[in-house]
Amino acid sequence: MGRAAAPARGVEAAAAGAGSVVELTDLTVRFPRREQEALRDVSLQIAAGEQVVVLGASGSGKSTILHAVTGVVPHTVAAAVAGQVTVAGSATGETSVVERSRHLGVLAQDPSAAVCLPVVEQEIALPLENRGTDPAHIGGRIASALDSVGATGLRDLPTAHLSGGECQRVALAAALVAEPEVLLLDEPTSMLDPEGVAAVRDAVRSAVTRYRPAVILVEHRLDEWAGAEGVAGLPERVVVLVDGQVVADGPTSLVLQDQAAALRAAGCWLPLDAELGSLTGAQGGLASPANRALLHTLGRPTGTRSRPATGRPLLEASGLAVGRAPAPGRGGRRVDRRSAALLSGVDLTLREGEVVAVLGANGVGKSTLLLTLAGLLTPVAGRVLGDRPGLVFQNAEHQFLASTVEGEIAHGLTSDVTDARVLEQLRRHRLEHLVGQNPFRLSGGEQRRLSLAAMLAHPRPVLLTDEPTLGLDRRDAIATARTLRETADGGGAVLLVSHDLRLVAGLADRVVVLGDGAVLADGPTERVLADPVVLARASLTLPPLVSWLVANLPGRVAHVLQGLDATVTGRADGVA
Amino acid sequence: MKDLVLMVVLGVVFGFAYWALVHTWNGLSILMGPAGDLAQHVLLGGWLLVAPIAIAIIRRPLAGVIAEVLASVVEVVFLGSPVGPTLIIAALIQGVGSELPFALTRYKRYGWTVFAVSGLLGAGLVFFYSAFRSGWYGQDLFTLRLAVQCVSGVVLGGLLARVVVEALARTGVVDNFAIGRGRDGQ
Amino acid sequence: MRSVERSSPLARRNPSIKLGVLFLVSLVVMFVLDPVTPAVLYLLALVGVVLSSGAPVRTLALAHVPFLAFAAGVLVVNALSRPGAVLWQSGPLRVTEEGLSVGAALAFRTLLVGVLAVGFLLSTDGVALMTSLHHNAGLGARPTYAILAGYRMLQEMPREWSLIRAAHAVRGDRRKDGRPPGGPRHLGGVVFTLLVVSIRKGERVAQALESRGLGLEPRSTWRPVRVSTADWVFVAGVVLVVGVVLAASAQLGLLRGPGALFG
Repeated sequence: MGRAAAPARGVEAAAAGAGSVVELTDLTVRFPRREQEALRDVSLQIAAGEQVVVLGASGSGKSTILHAVTGVVPHTVAAAVAGQVTVAGSATGETSVVERSRHLGVLAQDPSAAVCLPVVEQEIALPLENRGTDPAHIGGRIASALDSVGATGLRDLPTAHLSGGECQRVALAAALVAEPEVLLLDEPTSMLDPEGVAAVRDAVRSAVTRYRPAVILVEHRLDEWAGAEGVAGLPERVVVLVDGQVVADGPTSLVLQDQAAALRAAGCWLPLDAELGSLTGAQGGLASPANRALLHTLGRPTGTRSRPATGRPLLEASGLAVGRAPAPGRGGRRVDRRSAALLSGVDLTLREGEVVAVLGANGVGKSTLLLTLAGLLTPVAGRVLGDRPGLVFQNAEHQFLASTVEGEIAHGLTSDVTDARVLEQLRRHRLEHLVGQNPFRLSGGEQRRLSLAAMLAHPRPVLLTDEPTLGLDRRDAIATARTLRETADGGGAVLLVSHDLRLVAGLADRVVVLGDGAVLADGPTERVLADPVVLARASLTLPPLVSWLVANLPGRVAHVLQGLDATVTGRADGVA
Repeated sequence: MKDLVLMVVLGVVFGFAYWALVHTWNGLSILMGPAGDLAQHVLLGGWLLVAPIAIAIIRRPLAGVIAEVLASVVEVVFLGSPVGPTLIIAALIQGVGSELPFALTRYKRYGWTVFAVSGLLGAGLVFFYSAFRSGWYGQDLFTLRLAVQCVSGVVLGGLLARVVVEALARTGVVDNFAIGRGRDGQ
Repeated sequence: MRSVERSSPLARRNPSIKLGVLFLVSLVVMFVLDPVTPAVLYLLALVGVVLSSGAPVRTLALAHVPFLAFAAGVLVVNALSRPGAVLWQSGPLRVTEEGLSVGAALAFRTLLVGVLAVGFLLSTDGVALMTSLHHNAGLGARPTYAILAGYRMLQEMPREWSLIRAAHAVRGDRRKDGRPPGGPRHLGGVVFTLLVVSIRKGERVAQALESRGLGLEPRSTWRPVRVSTADWVFVAGVVLVVGVVLAASAQLGLLRGPGALFG
């Protein structure tokens, strides 16, 4: 690799960065079975109390940086590592993950793996017990850690009762309770709904202001992390990674200005101000005349597609009431029979050519409705008419049945059509290069594409899908939206459940809002999203861009959003 | 730590799966009543799975014994086995039996034969303990019980374990354990 | 997975102590092979559990079903399959005196261990037991927390299980009667998927535990579980009762050991 100069440079950098708590010097990481290095010659110094966000598309090596700091790479996950990592002044090549944990607090992606013990307070006591903290102080420190993440009320709860956002806040309290010098955040909100995102983001902010640890945040959903504050809501320093190399490192507003276009093209979600700025060069987001002009231009009617108002009904639910089937209780005793329906009086028709979005707060019964429409749960009342629909689950891994990508798509097809269908789906979902690969080995985005491909290989008129874009980078999210649109345009119908209102506003023809155990609204997307009463009753908040478009460019909302998406993929025709 | 958690996960998943399968096939749970005394020999191999799978993935001495004991602790403490804590003794003996062939080949060979012998010894050793605990000695059925249990051990507790291990290795989820390092080196 | 009565006398005993007592009694009766001794112990245990566990009689009765059925099976198999003095014969079936005696002994032992285990389970929270094993019985921190984390995963498993079953059911063809698949192939696939996603999750859990410093030395213990005098009184009481029953049984010439198995 021609790295003869590395040791000398390492010594130099170590001397220069005496004040840093974390220091990476010419770090190169390569995983087995991978051609490309995950990180190449990465050098970074992070000072005590400094806030840094590491940006990059999926697969750019963001998480690997954090794993190298914690020591998970190479101690737990096998990898060839060159260069040096220093945490709190000591070179860490030899220290174990556990030993390093004295200086580090970690919050990872998966809420269900973040909280490992049965009761909340045990979870937060554990790091203190492990560090040999005087038991007399533990109770008080648990209280103040929970207080700093706004979760005081959760202290005595069993962790099994927590929502995803609550799990992440409890895990954050556990990461911070021992007051480590460095807090590492690895896409902590990527699996949460908007409410959870906001709660975790606020918790991080308030906890960090309490004693100012250094923070390394890895994120690609910058828009959600920034929230309503825009760029000002982000850490002060940004490091941009492309293919394992640092391409920019500096003050957030400056770097975003320079790099926004490249990041957008790489599939990162940007704060709205940066996204618009990258297209016009103007600052100020929606307040800027140049940006408004851009949106108006994108909204100009060009070749508007006329949608059939009433296609043939493909799936009809009438008087439907849905509820969970009894969960298996232990030994058949104490079976949890919630006979009461979650939702009732649902009348819903899916017509040929339609994409319909189902919206509603957590726990309102969206997933249960999907399962019932798919014939997997028996309706509590009413009935569902139509051919058996396909259903794509949120976690693609739950649905895999075969040991190769090819076999996965071919599953259940009759032999006379198999080859042609498999080829068609492989091409359509950009999976040709992975034909013989095991489905569980694919990346998250590839897994989503595969599960969609395997479902679309079957001629089922209706496709149901649960959070189809959650956790995807923008490129994959746009590709997924296009596939759904094409499925409907090809004579099918699509029903999706999603929390992402920007996706819904750009994709869905019709929106069904659930709340209070019933359907609150069912109508054309824009009309429903423009109704403040319905939004409030269902606790939905429109993202600023969608809100502005609904108010200022009525009738053109979807068109503008598709135009913005096209700037990412370079396809000027928007949704084809 | 990840090895330890993996052993627990194996115990939890197989413990849960066994329980869930019994519930799914109601017929089986009825069968487990009066005929249960004999049916247990047929299914015994299923209980042995944990040890050989753990050894093949982790490739460390005592992995099988520890995994089997942890699985039985989960069983006794959280799934509520009516057999009570003497189950842990049975698990210990099973674990030793299952681990023996791997130990004798110095944790270097993972072919069908080693797995089959592992299942046989796991089922065979524990049989003599169970026979004492359950009073099978002196019954006319003694030999039949032993034969059925050994066959079950070989098939379910040995050969099936290898099938599962191979399938797991293909998914990549065990790449970061010793089994994955072994394969990378090949 | 199970609910626990928290305020009864039995529930207030130290979990490790209860486990130890259960272990001890199970071990001792393994060597008893006459029908009367385990029958008496079973009746005493039943009364003890009813009075001290605080569990409703209905719950206890229902909990009896699985091991009652098992005990019946043990009795029948032994009665029919042991050589000895024939009491009744019809074709290939014969019931012997020895078979009946050993069978009854084993059946009552099954009932005894079963009722004690149920009393233990109904009065002992699994988490408290693990904590107590860690504090009182010298179980290491790493295995203790690994098992507690396993328990967390176990709690989520019924949900995960039905989700995966549904996810697989959508993929496959329907059975002839239109119902979703439920055969061994389907269930085998579900178990495998559950195994794969659980192993993945286990790896993340292990990382989370390590990132919180599990394995550092020295540790401290917040709110340690203690063994009280009442716990030792409880141990002494159980030992005394079992001892008296065994002694009385021996005195009356009823007690038989494993020799009964071999005629």
